[in-house]
Amino acid sequence: MGESESESEAPKVKLRPIVRLGMFLISHSHLLSVVCCTAGVLTLLLLPLLAKNTYISENALMPGSANPMLSSQEVSEANGLVKDLTNLDLKPMASGIESQRLIAQYMSNLGAEVSFQKFYPQSNQFHPLHFFSSPDSATIRENISCSSYGLNTVGIIRAPRGDGKEAIVLVTPYNSEKIGLGEALSLGIAYSVFSLLTRVTWLAKDIIWVVADSKYGEYAAVDAWLRDYYIPVFSGLGIQNAEMCHGLEENAITERDMRDGFKRAGTMAAALVIKVVDRSEQFEDSLSIYAEASNGQMPNLDLINIVNYLAVHRQGLRIKVEKMWSLLNCKWLMILGEILESLGHLAKSLNPQWKFGIPAVDYVEGTATLASSLYYQALGIPTGPHGAFRDYQVDAITLEISSRVSSNNKGRQNDFLLRGGRLIEGVIRSVNNLLEKFHQSFFLYLLTSPSKFLSVGVYMIAFALLVASLPMVAASLYGHANNLDPGFEKNKSNHPASASDELGITLRSWKWLYAAKKVLVVHLWGAVVLLLPYFICQIPNCSPTTSFVVWVLLSIFSLIILFWILGSPFSYVNASQPQQREWALLKSVTISAAFIGLCLMSVINFATAEIGALLMVPMCLMAHPLKLDVKSRKLRNISRVACNLALAFIGLPPTAFLVFKCVFEGFDGISVGDFWNWLESIWAWSSATYLYIGMIHLPCWILCIHVILHPC
Amino acid sequence: MEAKEQSKKKESWYWNWLLGSVALRLILIYFSTNLNLASRPEISTPLTSLRRLAEGYWLRQSSMSPYAGSMYHGSPLLLSLLGPLTAKRIEGQPDHILCSLVFVIADVASAMFIRATGRNLQIAYSQSSKFLDLVKLSEKSDILPSGDIAALVYLWNPFTIFACVGLSTSPVENLAIILSLYGACRRIAPLAAFGWVVATHLSLYPVILIIPMILLLGYGPDTPPRKLFLQRKYFEVGETPSNDRCQQEEAVDQPELPYVFSWRSVIHFLFWTSLWLVYVLVLCGVSVKHYGGLWELFKRTYGFMLTVQDLSPNMGVLWYFFAEVFDFFRNFFLIVFHGNILFMILPLAIRLKHRPFFLAFVYIVISSMLKSYPSVGDSALYLGLLGLFVNELADMKFSFFLFCGYIGVSLLSPVMHNLWIWRGTGNANFYFATAMAYACLQIILVVESVSAMLNHDRKLRKLSATKVLDGKT
Repeated sequence: MGESESESEAPKVKLRPIVRLGMFLISHSHLLSVVCCTAGVLTLLLLPLLAKNTYISENALMPGSANPMLSSQEVSEANGLVKDLTNLDLKPMASGIESQRLIAQYMSNLGAEVSFQKFYPQSNQFHPLHFFSSPDSATIRENISCSSYGLNTVGIIRAPRGDGKEAIVLVTPYNSEKIGLGEALSLGIAYSVFSLLTRVTWLAKDIIWVVADSKYGEYAAVDAWLRDYYIPVFSGLGIQNAEMCHGLEENAITERDMRDGFKRAGTMAAALVIKVVDRSEQFEDSLSIYAEASNGQMPNLDLINIVNYLAVHRQGLRIKVEKMWSLLNCKWLMILGEILESLGHLAKSLNPQWKFGIPAVDYVEGTATLASSLYYQALGIPTGPHGAFRDYQVDAITLEISSRVSSNNKGRQNDFLLRGGRLIEGVIRSVNNLLEKFHQSFFLYLLTSPSKFLSVGVYMIAFALLVASLPMVAASLYGHANNLDPGFEKNKSNHPASASDELGITLRSWKWLYAAKKVLVVHLWGAVVLLLPYFICQIPNCSPTTSFVVWVLLSIFSLIILFWILGSPFSYVNASQPQQREWALLKSVTISAAFIGLCLMSVINFATAEIGALLMVPMCLMAHPLKLDVKSRKLRNISRVACNLALAFIGLPPTAFLVFKCVFEGFDGISVGDFWNWLESIWAWSSATYLYIGMIHLPCWILCIHVILHPC
Repeated sequence: MEAKEQSKKKESWYWNWLLGSVALRLILIYFSTNLNLASRPEISTPLTSLRRLAEGYWLRQSSMSPYAGSMYHGSPLLLSLLGPLTAKRIEGQPDHILCSLVFVIADVASAMFIRATGRNLQIAYSQSSKFLDLVKLSEKSDILPSGDIAALVYLWNPFTIFACVGLSTSPVENLAIILSLYGACRRIAPLAAFGWVVATHLSLYPVILIIPMILLLGYGPDTPPRKLFLQRKYFEVGETPSNDRCQQEEAVDQPELPYVFSWRSVIHFLFWTSLWLVYVLVLCGVSVKHYGGLWELFKRTYGFMLTVQDLSPNMGVLWYFFAEVFDFFRNFFLIVFHGNILFMILPLAIRLKHRPFFLAFVYIVISSMLKSYPSVGDSALYLGLLGLFVNELADMKFSFFLFCGYIGVSLLSPVMHNLWIWRGTGNANFYFATAMAYACLQIILVVESVSAMLNHDRKLRKLSATKVLDGKT
C-alpha cells in the first residue's frame, strides 16, 4: 500500500519490476478503480451465464442404481398411520401426548428402539460471539417454565451390516396440538420408508427418525434434540430443571420412557427434513429444496445433487428452489437477457465452439434464483430446521413436497406416498453407500437453478473485482497525502541537503496514526451501537418504530459521548502542521478498514460481503469533501457532489433496506419499524450479518460522511 | 518551569494509560470464561498453555513425572512457581484468577523495564548526537519519549492483552527477556545474566541474545557507527587553534564515549551467567530427581521444541511443513529450519554491531518468526520493543501497510480456524494461508526496520560530514 513512497527516495535508481508495477497501478488508480468496479458489477450480472451443471462428484453415492423396494404394502401401512393421526385430530379431547404415543406405538411395532425427548422452548438469545465459539458454549438455560414443553419422539433402527458408528437422520416436524393433513402425510412418507428399512439387508448406517414436536417452532425442536444428542448435560441446570418439573408431570407412561434414557446412534452422515404442504392450486406434485443454514452455510452440493437426480429422473417430480419473484417481471433484466442471448448467437455464428449464450427466459430465472440464493445466505438465518444440523457439521436439507392430495382421494394419496417414499428411500440408499463424510463436492456455492450452480472460484471473481479497487485507491491517496505535502516539497527544492528539513520530515510516514485513531474510535462506536438493542429489548411494550427511534437517538448520543471522552477526533486539527490533505489520509485509512472488513466478511458469509460491497465500494471510492467541490463550480464537481449525496443516502443500512423493500415489494405499508423487525430477526438468530452491519458498514458510512463534510 | 510542568503532565498521562490498561485486563479476566481465549491456538501453544501447566502440576502432586503423557513441556521451576496458584480456586471468581493476576503484574513490570530501558537508550542517543554536534537531533528526540511510547505500545497491544488474559505463560517469558536486556543496557551484569539464564531456560530461543548482550555490555547502548566518532576525533585533532576552546570543552564534556570494548563487564557477565546457570540446573535437577533426571527434562522440553513433535496448528509455518514432510527427511529439514535462525546471527551481528539493542530486537523478531510454537505473546514482545526505536525508525516505509496487515491477519486467522475446525467447510490450507501471510508480514517488518535503521545511520553520516565541511570552511 505504501509502494509509492519509494518514489521520492530514488527516482534515478532502477526500481524492481514489482515496485514499478505497483506504482503503475497506483498512478492510474482512478481509471482502474472505475474499470474494476464496473467489471465487478458486470460479472455479477453475468454469473447466471457462467453457472455449470451440477454433477454427482462422489462415486460411492451411485444414486438410482438400485430399483426402489418400497411397495404398496408399506404404503398401506403408512396410510393406516395417516388415518389414525387425522382421526386423532378430529377427536375433541386428544391431548398432545396421545399423538406421540400413537407414533411411538407404530415405531415399536416395527421393532425400532423408541425414546422420547422432553425439551423446553428457549427464547432466542443474543450471542455476539456465537460465531467464533463451538456450539456448546452458547447454551444458557434460563426462564424455563415447566408447564410448557415439547416432546420429540425418536425411533432408531440398528443397521444389520453396520457397526453403529454412523447414522442417517430423518426428521418430520409436526405440530402435536393440531395435526394437519400435510403433516400427517409427511409422517406417512417417513413411516413407509422407516418400515421398509427395518426389513432391508443392505443397511449399513443406523436410521434415526426424529418426529419433532413443532409446537414451539420446528427449528427449536430439532435444535433441542441435537443439543441433547451431541452435548449431554451431566450436571447442573439441566438435571435440576428436570427434577423441578417432575412433580408436575403426571403421565406415567412417558415418564417411564424418558427414564430409559436418551437413545443414540453414531455420528450423522446426513439428515433429511421432510415436509408436505398442501398446494391445491398447483397442477403437479413438486419438490422444493431449502438448504441455507445459519450464516449462509450450505450443505454439501452432492446431497442436493442426489435429491435432484432422483426426483427428476426417477420419480418425475418438479424441483424448485426459492426465487425472487419480483425479479421475474423486471423489464431491464429481460432486455439484458435478450442482449446476452443475441451475443451468444453471434459468438456461435463466429465460432461454433463458443457456447455461452442461454435463452433470455432462463437468464431471468437464473438471476432471480441467484438473487434469492444470495439474499437468504446473506441474511444468515436458516431457512428451515435443517439449519440446526449444520452447526454440528452435518449436511442436511429440507425437502418440501407440495401435493394436491385431498383426504378423500385414496388413489392419489397412495400414489403420492409411494413417490415420496421412493424418493427418500433412494436418497437414504445413496447416503448409505458413503464411506466417508460428504467431502467430495462443494460447500461454498450459489444455486442458479436446481441443477445449476456457481462454485466459489467463479463467484469470487465478481467480489474480487469489486473490492480490488479499494487497496489501489487507498495506496494512491496515502502516497499523495505523504508526498504532496506542500511545505515539504518547497523545502526540498530550495536547499536539498540542509539538516532542518531532513529532520522536519521525520514521522512523515507515521502521520496516518491520527486518521487510524479516528477510524478506530468510530469502529468502537459501531460495537456500542451493536450492543444497544440488547438493552432496548428490555423496555416493555415498545412498538418497533419507537424502538428504532430510541436506538437511533441512543446511537447518536453515544457517538457524541465517545468523542467527548476520547478527545473529539472529529474536531481534531493537527496544530503543528496544518494538514490540507488530512481528509485524504482519513479516506485512505477508511478504505483500508473497509477492505479488511469486506475480505473478512467474504470468508465468513460471502453473500453479505457481496451485497455490502455493492453498497459500500462506490460510496467509499467517491467520497470527496463537499467544500472543495462546491468551491470549483465545474460540471464534473457538481455531478460528484450529487453522486456522493445519493450514495451516502443509499449507503446507510436503514435507508438501503427501505429502498430495496420499496423496489421489491411496493410502497404500501412501509415504515421504519420494518427495519427494526428485520434487524431483530437477524439479531435473534445471532447472524454474522448483524455484526457486519454494526462493525463494518455503519462505521464506514459515518467515516465517509465525515470525509464528505470535511472542513478542509 | 513550563517544561517541567509539561513533563509532569506527561508523567501523569503515562500513569493514567498504564492504569487503564491494567483495568482493561482485569475486566477481560473477569469475563475470560465467556471469551474462551485459552483454547485459541494463536494464544496458547503446547509450551505456554496454562492448562497444560495445571495438568503437569496435578501429575506431580500425585507423584508422577510432570512430563508423563506429553502434556506439559515447560520448565519445572515454572511448575513450582505457578503450579500451586493453578490449584487454588476462589469461590465466585473465574478459574486461574491468581495466575492471571501474576501475568498482569508481569506485564506491568515488563512495561516498566521497557520504559527504563527506553530512557537509558534515549540518554545514550542524545549524548552521542551531542558529541557529533547534531543538537537538532537531540532536540527532536526530546519530543518523543521512546521509553514511554514503547511501554504503552507494549501494554495496549491487543496481542499482549490477549496473551495475558488468555492464560499463557508468555508474559513471564517476555519479562525474563526484557529483564536481561534491561540489565545489559544498564550494565548490571548479575541482573542481565539472571534474565538471560531464566529466559533461555524457559523458552530456549533467547539463547541467541547472548551476542547482542555481550555487545551491549561491552560497548554500551546503541550509538551511531563508530566510524563517525573516529572521524570526529580525527577532525578535532587536526583542528585549527582558532575555535580550539569550544572543541576542547566538548571533549572534556564527553571524555568516555563508548568506542572501546570493555572486557571487564563482559567477563563479569560471563561469570555471573555461569553462576546462575549452575544454580538453575541444580534447582531443576533437584525438582526432577525422581522423574528421570536432567536428561529426561532436556528431552521433554528442549527436545520437544527442537524436534517439533506437536503438529497441532498454530501461527507458525513449521507444523504444516512437518505434517507434510516424509519421515526420512524429517531430521534434515529440522536442521535446515533451525539453521535458518543461526545463519542470520553472524551477518546481522557484524552489520549492526554498533546498535546492539536493535540487534537484539531483530533477533527476537527472527526467532519468533521461525520458532516451532510461536504465539501472539512473542509478537507482543517485539512490537513493544519496536517502540523503543521510534526516533530512529521515524522514516520507516510500509508502516501503514504493516499495520493493516497485522490487523487483517489477526482477524482473519480465527475466522479461518473456525472455518476449518468448526464449520468443516474449509481445510488446513485456509488456516495455513494466514500463517504464511503472517510470516511474510514479519519478514517485511524485519527488512524494513533494518533498512530504515541503516538509512538513519547514513543520514547521520551525511549530516556529520556536512558539519565537518562547514567547520573546515
